[in-house]
Amino acid sequence: MTGFAFALLLTAALAGYMMNRQAAVTLRDGGQRLHSLGMFHGLYALLAVLVPAIIIVLLWLVLQSTVINRLVMAGLPDGVLDNLGSGAIQLIKAEIQSISQGRVFGDPEQWKMDAAERMNSLRAASGWLMLLVVAAVSAAALFVTRRSVRAEFRARQAVEGITMGLLISCSLVAIFVTVGIVLSLVFESIRFFQMVPITDFLFGTSWEPQIPIREDQVAAEGAFGWLPVILGTLVITFVAIVVAVPVGLMSAIYLNEFASKRFRAIAKPVLELLAGIPTVVYGFFAILTVAPAIRAWGASLGLPIAPNTALAAGSVMAVMLIPFISSFADDALSAVPRSLRDGSMALGATRAETVTKVLFPAAIPGIVGGVLLAVSRAIGETMIVVMAAGLIAKMTINPLDSVTTVTVQIVTLLIGDTSFDSPKTLAAFALGLMLFIVTLLINIVALRIVRKYRELYD
Amino acid sequence: MYDINRAESAVTQQDIKISARNVQVYYGDTHAIKDVNVEILDKTVTAFIGPSGCGKSTFLRCINRMNDSIDIARIEGQIRLDGQDIYDRKVDPVQLRARVGMVFQKPNPFPKSIYDNVAYGPKIHGLARNKAELDEIVEKSLRGSALWNEVKDRLLEPGTGLSGGQQQRLCIARAVATAPEVLLMDEPCSALDPIATGQVEELIEQLRSQFSVVIVTHSMQQAARVSQKTAFFHLGNLVEYGETDDIFTKPQDSRTESYISGRIG
Repeated sequence: MTGFAFALLLTAALAGYMMNRQAAVTLRDGGQRLHSLGMFHGLYALLAVLVPAIIIVLLWLVLQSTVINRLVMAGLPDGVLDNLGSGAIQLIKAEIQSISQGRVFGDPEQWKMDAAERMNSLRAASGWLMLLVVAAVSAAALFVTRRSVRAEFRARQAVEGITMGLLISCSLVAIFVTVGIVLSLVFESIRFFQMVPITDFLFGTSWEPQIPIREDQVAAEGAFGWLPVILGTLVITFVAIVVAVPVGLMSAIYLNEFASKRFRAIAKPVLELLAGIPTVVYGFFAILTVAPAIRAWGASLGLPIAPNTALAAGSVMAVMLIPFISSFADDALSAVPRSLRDGSMALGATRAETVTKVLFPAAIPGIVGGVLLAVSRAIGETMIVVMAAGLIAKMTINPLDSVTTVTVQIVTLLIGDTSFDSPKTLAAFALGLMLFIVTLLINIVALRIVRKYRELYD
Repeated sequence: MYDINRAESAVTQQDIKISARNVQVYYGDTHAIKDVNVEILDKTVTAFIGPSGCGKSTFLRCINRMNDSIDIARIEGQIRLDGQDIYDRKVDPVQLRARVGMVFQKPNPFPKSIYDNVAYGPKIHGLARNKAELDEIVEKSLRGSALWNEVKDRLLEPGTGLSGGQQQRLCIARAVATAPEVLLMDEPCSALDPIATGQVEELIEQLRSQFSVVIVTHSMQQAARVSQKTAFFHLGNLVEYGETDDIFTKPQDSRTESYISGRIG
């Protein structure tokens, strides 16, 4: 029925377009000066038919099942739902639904069969009603827009207005989704902070989320201080950035300024290939190659090194970040006008001087943007650290020690049999919220830095 | 006969700064400059005029080897600066460009402060031993390009914040600060309004006392106003070269005559 509704709608919209354009052209051929081109009269009809009808159909589809369910449940014989908990009512609802779709298990009571039948007939009625409404709305829109075709009608402005509305609603979607994500994090976190005091979480230096899940289980009281976990994240991020920024920048400078066209044509795609490697594969690389190598190196120097070091995870993460930084810096350097390069060369500057003294400062905003994007990715990166970093939270900044990260803890808290009302599981949301806040702050700082340099260099 | 004698005596009185012999430039398959011979004098303003695409800017960029950075450009023949072939293997283009400065068509100040723009050349060539000397060079260059009074109170503001004419004078100051022997100017006034153009032209006249200036221009009036020598380029050929007055009053070649009287171009 929905497909039929859409087909009807499209036909009506196209018909409206043709009709209005034809009408406008006829007016013009009749010697009148039109305010808008015929095409805009057509588009106006097209949009006027499509936009309201599509909104109606979408709302209808979203609300339909709720309304039908309510009607069906309300129509059940008196008494069958008495003394039942909300879970049992849910089960009955689900059973009626599956019966209505033809999946009958066992031998349900007659009233359930009746309800399922009612549900089916309501659905069919709803489908027809929707079709009717769509047809009525399209017809009304066609009628109204057809009458609007006059020489002085500002069809172009009308079309531009509708288009503007569409653009605004598209950008609002992104904003609403973000707000929704933040709210869901916040609500779960609030539940967590009702069980664990927020000061314990923010300032506690011990992270031991092992708490009894059932009453009869024997386990220590958990500790939920996030400091050691975020410290681990910061150590790994620091290692990754310290390795990735110089390598990425220098490779960008070489590729942009010094490399021959042929070398660049090969090296740049290969570098960008690094960005396409799945992070799981980086994780393999970290545990199988880098971590043992670091251990062997430490052993040869007589240093005891943990198998899961922050250094191993961080340096492999750095490899993942190099293409980001490199391609951002490359773009930023390429965007510097050629005239600045020429101006510097004409003053007798060498290429190196031109790069370091003119091109690089001019490209700073773009480069800083790339680096901070890399920092955000490093903080949020999950798979590499799940595989290569440790699980035990320690208050340490030694990169040769084993550390854990916020993302690793979120993963370990949420895998396995979990119930969403224990602090152990809810702690994951609190960690997620903090991670979100930290990356948000970094982005704000980044924007400020970029803006400051922009002011200086524009 | 008298004219030729006068030209010769002028040449012997003044030193030849740059001499080009049989210069050919190819861009890929295009023969952009055909067999150009020219002698540019010291402490003289030489104007290159000609219709668009005639090769005058290309030839100008050969003099400080700015064409080196263009992969497909190929140069044959000889260009000598003070008798030294600048395309010789021993010549470092970086050092050459310190001696032969250039000002471009569009003002291109660096995204740095006014002070740093001017100090850029002296810094990279080590012309100043300390901050005081550098300050002095900056002030002298800015005075020399008639910009000092306008910017002396805001030397630390970005050079890109100046007006177009001020930016171009800043670029001239930047070139002058490197203490070049020759200053090449590639249509330096084409992006400027008449007042700024007048200021830059006045400046060119002053700069002549220190070094040789070569200016490419579209405007024949400008060539007549600022230059002592004029070279007319057409389709990659150097058609005529001589005293500016002679070129504009009694051109020898019919193509020159057509161009300055507005029939071709």
